[in-house]
Amino acid sequence: MTVASRAARPRRPSRRALLAGAVAFVGLLVWAIVTLDVEPERLLRLPGGLAHIFHAMYLEVGPEWTYLPDAIGGMLESLQIAWIGTLIGAVLSLPMGLLGARNVSGGLGSNAMRQVLNAIRAVPEVLLAVIIFIPIVGIGGSASAYAGTLAIGVHSIGTLGKLTAEVVEGIDPGPVEAARAVGGAPLQVQRWAVIPQVMPEIVAFWLYRFEINIRASAILGVVGAGGVGEALTQAMVFGRFPRAGVIIIVIIVATILIDTASGWLRRRIIQGAEARRMHGEAIEEPAFAASGAGRADTDVG
Amino acid sequence: MTTAAPPGQARPARPARSPWAIVAFLGFAAFTWWAASDEFGIGFDVARVITNLTRGADILAEFFPPNWEYLPRTFGPMLETFQMAVIASVIGCGVALPVSFLASRVTTPNLVTYLVNRSLLNLIRALPDLLYALIFVAAVGVGPLPGILALVLFNVGVTAKLLSETVDGVDPGPIEAANAAGATRTQVVRWSVLPQVLPNYVAYSLYVFELNIRASAVLGIVGAGGIGNLINTERRFFRYDNLMVILIEIFVFVFVIELISIWLRRKLV
Repeated sequence: MTVASRAARPRRPSRRALLAGAVAFVGLLVWAIVTLDVEPERLLRLPGGLAHIFHAMYLEVGPEWTYLPDAIGGMLESLQIAWIGTLIGAVLSLPMGLLGARNVSGGLGSNAMRQVLNAIRAVPEVLLAVIIFIPIVGIGGSASAYAGTLAIGVHSIGTLGKLTAEVVEGIDPGPVEAARAVGGAPLQVQRWAVIPQVMPEIVAFWLYRFEINIRASAILGVVGAGGVGEALTQAMVFGRFPRAGVIIIVIIVATILIDTASGWLRRRIIQGAEARRMHGEAIEEPAFAASGAGRADTDVG
Repeated sequence: MTTAAPPGQARPARPARSPWAIVAFLGFAAFTWWAASDEFGIGFDVARVITNLTRGADILAEFFPPNWEYLPRTFGPMLETFQMAVIASVIGCGVALPVSFLASRVTTPNLVTYLVNRSLLNLIRALPDLLYALIFVAAVGVGPLPGILALVLFNVGVTAKLLSETVDGVDPGPIEAANAAGATRTQVVRWSVLPQVLPNYVAYSLYVFELNIRASAVLGIVGAGGIGNLINTERRFFRYDNLMVILIEIFVFVFVIELISIWLRRKLV
């Protein structure tokens, strides 16, 4: 019995590549830990330090509730920065994303555009604000928020453009061929055969990016680029913990509220699109003509 | 199909637009106006962008040529950034693995455990990584340690969310098979769920590592180690030629790491 079962079991595939990878990985980790001066003994201070900060923020004298209106005002500014920044990213990333898709602009063109998008994505928004936009638009008053908006907008182009290109590469080629066959110009093909297929997913990405940008804009104030982060950094650096405590509560509540609303909307958009698509196929399949045009109207609207 | 449709009916009627679409559009327009307006919002208008862009070209010209003599001084801090990202990714993704099983209904039937874990993850993700860095710097002092701690929290939030959603969607067949064979819950996770999500887990970990490289480059601005420290110093002295060197260096570094990571992900998944 043992002989038979041994013969029946297939041979284990070679694990040499996996082993080499694991060794390289562990080597990298050990090197990082050994050469970086982490001072792990300071970890012992962590629980005490955190307890002290929490105590100072919320228990010692209680949160500085009189600062609440200012904190909410700052958070609203962060919200506006994120919204306008996301819009900039959305508007500019759509054409760039289309050009970055292999099935739209061919191998060479799409590769070039992908590299441009990767390059934009490589620079974090805080860095864009510090090194490029604050020097250009200045700091203080409305200029700070403005620099932050541009930084978020430009960084969003990179991430949104990449996602757009990936979604466009996954479309059904049928409608594109149909549009070409009836003599559609390149722009008409995009408008009537590509955009309708990808729009629900792309709008969902835009909303998701907005959620991420809220977090980014809440912290851009660290470098003086507007929003609630400016007051928070001041409070933390000067040890005004009760005030920082109020600001942190405002950030948490605002982000969770926006995430919930935006998540609901995203699900609505994606599921709505799917439901409509299934519904559309059910009625349009027997009379298969015009199904592309029908879908175009329902999805864009 | 054989009978030709009467000419008047060849084209189906355009479906009526839902009133909700109009409401949604008006809401969108009003919100955008509020955010961009001078009185209530950030005072954003396109004309200003164009003026700034022309002015910006002049200012950016001052950044060039980058001061390449400064480059050798950035190698040490850049290495520190990389090391912080490596350590934080390993710890963060290591912690995230069990946490994500606890945050999925598939592997955690206990409603209370599940809800507690989910809410904790939502709470962690509600705060930006730089804020964690601010708090940890206040708690343990400046240096790479608070940076690593901030990145670890951030990683657990991201990885556990992505992975728990993957666990939610696994094929239930192997789980039923393991249950039928009398496996304990740990055995089910180990032999039925883990093999299904392992490729995704590796992909997410690499993705998080990429995020960490970018994030750890700026953590130093609040004193949490790495190249960000230098950014802070140079910007106080308005040494934009030096900042340009740092920007280009970070850019090249992130770019190379991403290429490697994409190549690895393609090989593994």
